[in-house]
Amino acid sequence: MAKRTMCRLCRLLIFASKLCGLTFLLSSCTASGTNRVPSYGTQSNNAEERASKALQLAQSGNLELAEDELRKVVALEPGNSEFLQELGTVLAMEKKLEESTSSFERALRIEPGALLARRYLAANLWQLHRFTEARQNLQLLLKAKPGDPQALLLLGMVSENTADYATAAKTLASVPALVRVQPESIAALARSYYHIGEADKARLWLRELLHHAAGARAVLLGAQIADEMQDYHTAETLLISLQSDLSDEETLKYRLALVKFHAKQFAESEKLVQQLLDGGHQSGEIYRLLGWCRQEQHNHQDAVRAFQEAIKLEPTNETSYLDLGRILLTERRLVPALELSKRTANAFPESSRAFVLKGSVELAATLFTDAVDSFSHALQLDPSSPDASIGLAKAQFGSGMTQQAKATLERAIANFPKKAPFEVELAQLLLKEAETGDEGAEARAERLLKSAIVLDDTLAEAHYQLGELALARSQLQRALIHLGEAAKLDPTSAKVHFALSRAFRRLGRNAEAAKQSALYDKLKEQETSRAPDAPAETPSSN
Amino acid sequence: MPPTPQQKLPLAIRNDSTFWRYRPTLQLFFPFLAAFISFIALDCFRPTQAQSSSPSMEIFTDVTEEAGITWRHFSGESQDRFLIETMGGGVAFLDFDGDGLQDLFFVNGGETPHGKSTLPIRNALYRNLGNGKFQDVAAKARVDHSPFYGMGVAVGDFDNDGFPDLYVTGFPRSALFHNNGDGTFTDVADRAGVKNAGRWAASAAWFDFDRDGYLDLLVTNYAQFSFDDVKKCELDGKPAYCAQKVYSGMPLTLYHNNGDGTFTDVSERSGLAKLVGRALGVVAVDANDDGWTDLFVARDASPNLLLINQRNGTFRDVAVDSEVAYNSDGVARAGMGIDAGDFNGDGKPDFVVTNFNDEYHSLFVTGSTTLFDDKSVSSRLAAYTKPFVGWGIHFIDYDNDGNLDLIVANGHINQAIESTRLDVKYKQPPLLLRNDGNGRFINMREFAGSSFSVGQSARGLAVGDFNNDGGVDAVFTRLDEKPILLRNNEGQNHIWVGLELQGTRSNRDGIGSKITIDVGKRKLVRWITGGASYLSSHDKRVIVGLGDVPSFVPITGEIRWPNGTLQLLSNLQRNRYQKIVEPGADEFHGEKHN
Repeated sequence: MAKRTMCRLCRLLIFASKLCGLTFLLSSCTASGTNRVPSYGTQSNNAEERASKALQLAQSGNLELAEDELRKVVALEPGNSEFLQELGTVLAMEKKLEESTSSFERALRIEPGALLARRYLAANLWQLHRFTEARQNLQLLLKAKPGDPQALLLLGMVSENTADYATAAKTLASVPALVRVQPESIAALARSYYHIGEADKARLWLRELLHHAAGARAVLLGAQIADEMQDYHTAETLLISLQSDLSDEETLKYRLALVKFHAKQFAESEKLVQQLLDGGHQSGEIYRLLGWCRQEQHNHQDAVRAFQEAIKLEPTNETSYLDLGRILLTERRLVPALELSKRTANAFPESSRAFVLKGSVELAATLFTDAVDSFSHALQLDPSSPDASIGLAKAQFGSGMTQQAKATLERAIANFPKKAPFEVELAQLLLKEAETGDEGAEARAERLLKSAIVLDDTLAEAHYQLGELALARSQLQRALIHLGEAAKLDPTSAKVHFALSRAFRRLGRNAEAAKQSALYDKLKEQETSRAPDAPAETPSSN
Repeated sequence: MPPTPQQKLPLAIRNDSTFWRYRPTLQLFFPFLAAFISFIALDCFRPTQAQSSSPSMEIFTDVTEEAGITWRHFSGESQDRFLIETMGGGVAFLDFDGDGLQDLFFVNGGETPHGKSTLPIRNALYRNLGNGKFQDVAAKARVDHSPFYGMGVAVGDFDNDGFPDLYVTGFPRSALFHNNGDGTFTDVADRAGVKNAGRWAASAAWFDFDRDGYLDLLVTNYAQFSFDDVKKCELDGKPAYCAQKVYSGMPLTLYHNNGDGTFTDVSERSGLAKLVGRALGVVAVDANDDGWTDLFVARDASPNLLLINQRNGTFRDVAVDSEVAYNSDGVARAGMGIDAGDFNGDGKPDFVVTNFNDEYHSLFVTGSTTLFDDKSVSSRLAAYTKPFVGWGIHFIDYDNDGNLDLIVANGHINQAIESTRLDVKYKQPPLLLRNDGNGRFINMREFAGSSFSVGQSARGLAVGDFNNDGGVDAVFTRLDEKPILLRNNEGQNHIWVGLELQGTRSNRDGIGSKITIDVGKRKLVRWITGGASYLSSHDKRVIVGLGDVPSFVPITGEIRWPNGTLQLLSNLQRNRYQKIVEPGADEFHGEKHN
């Protein structure tokens, strides 16, 4: 009976792997030979029959009925790990991952040594983005069965997802045959190599996608990875290789245009986009890219027109409104920005991002009390939105609600995993309070800034503020260190160069002070030449 | 010599601490004693001139009504929201008729295309009648009418004839009212060449930049402006005044006094013409103590200027190097009013500048090198001024304890501000900030007087002693309202010396003089500055408060005159004004023009 059971599970899993294309669900059936389930007479026979029936149902594609049957089987023999695993498998095939996970967890409680179950549990957890638990299960599995290739593959994927690129690269590279099977795993390995500075290896693996069985889909995925990792030449090479094969010219040209845009070749990107439009390919996505190309070439009016076209084409696509709003805000065209943001909020009343846009424009227009309302609403719609949280705090502070602003930021620091930006924001607020007499505020601000830098050393503002504090205390060398870092991270920040010039001047290093001062003047001029406070246009009726 | 307050008041009350002086509980605990002291103070120490009959605990009393001042400012406010509507008007203390009493001159605004007045728009010249009352004689004096939108006034005796003249700034020109010496004035701007035509002028400062004994004139120009160019801005859906950056800045104008009643525009030659920005306030003072008068110009969303006199007719801007041009983030603040004074008693001039809300007003203290230290935060000036938009500002030793205090006129520009901010009001109270002598200000709002507890749309601010009692009084203008004249009730409570300088080889007003008073171990330095505050002009006499100096301690000092002459002073008399004439040539620079 047990042998029959094993075969049924294996068969189920093989069928599932074909259905889902997930190699992780392939089991090594010889390895599972030790998992034998004793039979319990008539009840067991009944359960076995139902389980067999379930397999047939699953094989014929009737997963719902198969699930029903297996639930009854499990009800008959709740202590049977095998049946629980089968149920878990069918549930996974139905994409009911949470329930599938529960089923496997129950199975493992009964039979902790069921390596198969643990592998599939790990696969579920990975898909559910419960990476820590996935990793734990895989580590248990690998302890019991070192070198298990599927486990290594899955561990590599989990590591890549959690940005542990070194582990990901090492682990995935140890199972090259398995990695080669799916473009996703090749992509994960390549991305990991890029992150650890081994771009050549990354490129080698991406080239494998050129001849992958998955065809154009694989190449497009590879190009996406290369683009993300700013290896634009590789991305282009991959895309160009598809020119003769891919019938979908629109996709190819669009992706090429996107790569060129990311490579800051804005004119060339625009040319490609224009070719698409001339060829009759019109979509919101294409017009948006056109808009961004024009904006980057400082062709602001035409950029706005492109976004307006995108909105006309796809009036229910929020992205076009948000992009246009961002541009109007950057250009400080606050009246049209306000108009647009109100329209967006009306059109997408359940969208937190729409209200974040509205709040951002109101903030820029110093309509602080309105901004408080908008950001509050955005936060209600999406309590996990960091932009809404920071925006609310800024609006509260701007309107004079200082205590509320502090409370908002304290809450965000407690709740958001990436809390460094909130720490910087709170520090800035406290520094303002320090100016009006709160003596403890400066010390706390400094602690927050230092904490933020430990969490994220790329925060230019944190370095800048620490530099300013040092400058105020005449700790000039320390000031130079922090301000220098800020300048490296954000070389276009006028105020950083201004502070550097002050520091150099106080040190008597006048030539360097003059250089920083000149940089400050140039950047300031660029800032003001963006017509920051041009007379507001009379709003058009909507 | 009348007995001094210190000789009458018991020691328990003479304690100088704020707590003792102002705590109401003191009165409760020593009611009889307090009443007795008040009686004695009033009866024996009040100067001979008649004063308000009711004793007051407040530092400043609003005596506008009592003084008979009825003039109202007219801004021409309209739906067009021209920025000029929200930025006038100036005021001056001056003794125009040489009778020893400080008179008052108010500059009116003007009509705008859609902001019309049912009554003629007039300036006012209030003659001090000597009994706490004033009389408007502007029409008789022929200074009542300016054919342009008026902004500010700078008083200076440009021809050294002993009668102060009036330079009235405005748009699209300015006027130079020459004091004829007979109670009348004549606009000689055309003849003199100081019309500043086509420009929107704000504050002006008389000073002698080349030390030739004649007052030259620095005019701050604000922005390129036209009534034909309506800029539409909104705040919270309502028409609002546009941010200042909407208007392009202008260069400064510098006129050299030729000594013959004419001036030459030396803006280009001096290097000032290339300094384009939105200038609003100016003070002329010797910033680096080299004996040559310099200029500190407050500019609105343009970097401030610290123009050091190069002694050759040119100036060099060192504001950036001195760290007074911008805030610490490299942002130019909304500098409006400015004054210079020795805040920390080190003998060097320090500067205060009024800014916009959230920017804080600034206190720049001369450092050990060429740098200034920004003491806005540590002095608590930042804490007190965060929600305010400041205009006129002046150092004033209101209690004559020897420490320079501050008086500030505030008021926002946009009525709609209260719909977008919970912590900023449109009308804002003026501030009286006491210098505690240890680098900090104390807000005296509770004791300053009722005018300091009420929100105002205040703009120009001038200081002067209109009742000659040694207490520096103040006056500030308000948009579309009557001004407020404040009588100082505290100045007589400490010893003071008053100096009225008369130049002979230097300019007659003594502008540019540095006065050092030695009393015991204490050295007090004051300057006769040109300009200062916002759009306004001040009593040229200097009152130096000496605190509680014992009678046996001699009061001596020295004056460094603008042309470099050093004059020693000895046996200065307490609690009175004394005229100090510059030694040297008997012949003073008389009239050389007709």
